[in-house]
Amino acid sequence: MHKDKDAALVNGCKQGDRRAMSQVISQYQRPVYNAAYRILGDMDDAADTTQVVFIKVFEHIADYDPKYKFFSWVYRIAINESLNQVKKRRPQEPLADSQASPWPGPAQLLDTRRTCNRVQAALMLLNEDYRAVVVLKHFSGCSYRQIGEILQLPEKTVKSRLYSARQLMKKSLQEDGSQVNGGGSHE
Amino acid sequence: MEVRLTGVVVMSEQNRIDQHTLDLLNGGIDGELSPVEQQELDVLLAGSEEVRDIRDELEAFSRLLEDTPEIEPPAYLQESIEKQIRLPVPGEEKNLGVFSAWFSAHWLRTGFALAAGIFLTVGVYEMGSGPTNTMDSNKMVGTVVKSQSPGQGKLLDSVHVVTDTLNGQVELRRNDDLFTLDVKLVSDGPTGVNVNFADRGLDFEGITRVQESNDVVSVVDGTIKVASSGEQHYSLKLRRTAGTADQQSIPLDLEFFANETLVHQAELSIPR
Repeated sequence: MHKDKDAALVNGCKQGDRRAMSQVISQYQRPVYNAAYRILGDMDDAADTTQVVFIKVFEHIADYDPKYKFFSWVYRIAINESLNQVKKRRPQEPLADSQASPWPGPAQLLDTRRTCNRVQAALMLLNEDYRAVVVLKHFSGCSYRQIGEILQLPEKTVKSRLYSARQLMKKSLQEDGSQVNGGGSHE
Repeated sequence: MEVRLTGVVVMSEQNRIDQHTLDLLNGGIDGELSPVEQQELDVLLAGSEEVRDIRDELEAFSRLLEDTPEIEPPAYLQESIEKQIRLPVPGEEKNLGVFSAWFSAHWLRTGFALAAGIFLTVGVYEMGSGPTNTMDSNKMVGTVVKSQSPGQGKLLDSVHVVTDTLNGQVELRRNDDLFTLDVKLVSDGPTGVNVNFADRGLDFEGITRVQESNDVVSVVDGTIKVASSGEQHYSLKLRRTAGTADQQSIPLDLEFFANETLVHQAELSIPR
């Protein structure tokens, strides 16, 4: 996420440099895919959305305004596209233990996987506005200012949504209490 | 160190702590406090076990989320994305993205007229939406007419199709009571697009093709079915039924087939 490096890559893409394009995809596909997964809760949907995000990024790269950080611009497209997908599709069942999980499967990691699934399930119970701020803060590591820039919200709103979202998530994890306590320990 | 999310503090319990303190605690967890605010929080923490408990809970919760490992994107993803991107060639007037660039270049190569935003279409076919109105559009007698560019009208919704065998996009546009589904697809083999508009207060007005192709169009039980292959660009026209209340959004269900296999489903929505 270095500004100069991003600027050089963007410039390269505008000039038709496919190596620059590959680097942009390589650098951002993981965070975009993870953010999409956190919002959508489905690996296939996250992969499809990631592809659409990059199609849009390169379709509109000439319109990118360098006064914003490139990663914020990419994230904005990613979050908007993910939220659009959420609105378009029908409600899904929360992720159950028996469902496919993207996290490691060996027996010794079972607790971790269960915890990850429950965190994801609690995330999916939030409305999309709350989910987006939690994803950007806790999974993408964005600051309040960056979240505000990505979601085009005042910082005050970001804080308010984040605090409320955390409260709701904690509550739903608490209601799932024994399982969280059993699988939520971290050494 | 073991950190457990036991006894999670819920809002009713936090009411004993004032909002300002909660804001400081949250800001502290997020590393967003100014030095003065941090100092204020330190004083509050030193003086209250309750505040410390809430801080510990917030820290545990935050750590739980941030310790959740990232997931690996599928191995095919990078290559799949790269295959779909067309970057501009230096010297081109405007950067064009994926499909718009591809189609524009194709039209110019194949010599179709494109002037001042007006497409010279091969034909505009009008047909009713009766229950079994089926036809092969190639066998119809059509008149070469000018029609509005498929890109005109207010954009209401869009969907991208990204699969191994079929790629493209569908845009839903509106001109008064006329709704246009502008379909641009690319595939190696035979494809099908079904648009279900049954009981939605819409009539099928026709299809506008931009280029010669082997499209077969049928309308059966409120579903438009277009079978085609290769490079496709056509527009499906739907009109709101006279007297239909404009009070609720109208969903249109789309299904995309490649080699007779359903590869993608989507919904476009005509807003209220």
